[in-house]
Amino acid sequence: MLRSYGLLVRWTLLRLRSALLLLVFLQTLISVGIVVGFSFLVPQVDPTTALYLSTGSMTIGLITVGMVAAPQMVAQQKMSGTFDHQRALPVPRLAMLAADASVWIVLALPGMFAALAVAALRFDLSFTVSPLVVPAILLVALTSVAIGYGLAYAAKPEVAGLVTQLILFMALMFAPINFPAQRLPHWVAEVHEWLPFVYMAQSIRETLDVPSGGVALLPFAVLAAWGVVGLAVTYRVMARRN
Amino acid sequence: MVLQIEHLTKVYRRKVRANDGVSLDVAAGEVVGLLGHNGAGKTTLLNQVIGLSRPTSGSIAIDGTDVVTNPAHARRLCSMQPQSHAPLEGVTPRQVIEIVARLRGASRQRARQRTAELIAALQLEPWARTVGERLSGGIRRLTAFCLAAAEPGRVVMLDEPTNDVDPVRRRLLWQQVRALADAGSAVLLVTHGVAEAERVVDRLVILHHGRIVAEGTPAALRGSHDDQLRLELQAVSEEAAAALRPPSGTPAVTGRRVLVTIDAHEAAAAIDWAGRERTAGTIEEFSINPASLEDVYIGLLGDEKGDQKEVDHVA
Repeated sequence: MLRSYGLLVRWTLLRLRSALLLLVFLQTLISVGIVVGFSFLVPQVDPTTALYLSTGSMTIGLITVGMVAAPQMVAQQKMSGTFDHQRALPVPRLAMLAADASVWIVLALPGMFAALAVAALRFDLSFTVSPLVVPAILLVALTSVAIGYGLAYAAKPEVAGLVTQLILFMALMFAPINFPAQRLPHWVAEVHEWLPFVYMAQSIRETLDVPSGGVALLPFAVLAAWGVVGLAVTYRVMARRN
Repeated sequence: MVLQIEHLTKVYRRKVRANDGVSLDVAAGEVVGLLGHNGAGKTTLLNQVIGLSRPTSGSIAIDGTDVVTNPAHARRLCSMQPQSHAPLEGVTPRQVIEIVARLRGASRQRARQRTAELIAALQLEPWARTVGERLSGGIRRLTAFCLAAAEPGRVVMLDEPTNDVDPVRRRLLWQQVRALADAGSAVLLVTHGVAEAERVVDRLVILHHGRIVAEGTPAALRGSHDDQLRLELQAVSEEAAAALRPPSGTPAVTGRRVLVTIDAHEAAAAIDWAGRERTAGTIEEFSINPASLEDVYIGLLGDEKGDQKEVDHVA
């Protein structure tokens, strides 16, 4: 299992090699862009807005990689027939997933920290960071990749491509990631109670700047549940025999 | 027997019977060629062996172990070169062959050694360090073969390994296929290159509409046609080809090319007739040769329009 994992990580890195720099660059651009760009939309940046923007940009960064870039890569592999080729190898399905997920997570890190640094400078923020920030980032990244993969494996490649665009659009504009949920119409906020976005944002925000009431644990539980669903769907499709 | 397939039937959702009661054995050291038209059920058969698709009924065993209920076992015991593209994006043949050999359980040293051997044997050195995107179709296909052959399974399955490959490397490839069997693997080979396959396979199995219509050694399959000749004509146009009415035999028309299998005693009459056709300007040239395996195949399965004849089992 571990041996397969190592070899698969190497293979994935080689496969992405040509696109790697571009991916890191784009992802950094998006994360930093949110911090800078959204602050134009809001002329008076109060401390709450600043906190939401800076931590939200990190969340969006992870969503871009896990739920947009990763599934698009899978869709491409499905179309080229690579998918069936790899499924015929004597490799534990879980090792295949774990290898891909690790590469994507590592890939998301530079952009995330760049955005945080820019935000701290731009808004002159200081954080009270909890050690839970590490598991929070990992969980958000993993859940993102798991959902992205579930989508890419279950849907037709063309459909997956469109849905990922929709996810990015929704995460940017209509999800309480970069702003508090109270600003959304009531019913939209209610829908979000069942979706992972708000919990992703909350877990990262609260671990980076711990609120007076402490870090809420509900988001961790909800994210774990979403992650399990995503992994289960992916695993099922990977192991399916038609 | 390494690979034992019994009464294998695969029915797809729209009631298509892709495999219909197929029974087939492959022993260690044996190369078995699987022939048949497109859609005859060859790829479906391979996919069931390696566990990418599940049989509707029937059994598949490798070294006596049932692999239908244990597809992970099948993947360990089989290596396969699928028809689809090999995953070569971003990797060079040398890198990916080594990685896949190691994923299949080879030590680092053995993986390196086998990779070097295969690259040398198939004369792939000029491309060994070129990334997949820049490789031609033939080189990609050969690399895909190496992925299955570097650390071969007890069963090696190759789905049209010679497509796009140049004639020189085709020969080298056949040698490597033979070498896999000689090293103890059971090799199951899907191909359309009937004439080429004849040289490398120990046995041939011909599939038609999901059923085995003939099987045996190339010599045995040809045996019933020993007293037969092949009359090959090149017509001036497709219309002229379709209109040709030879004195005996049923013509199989492919574009301007017409093949007729005739009995040896009818040769003189056939030559007379073909001579007259050439004088009349309906054909450009003709030749008569001993019937080849390709003629047997076409005789069994009909021409490309899918004409089917009743056939006997040739054991």
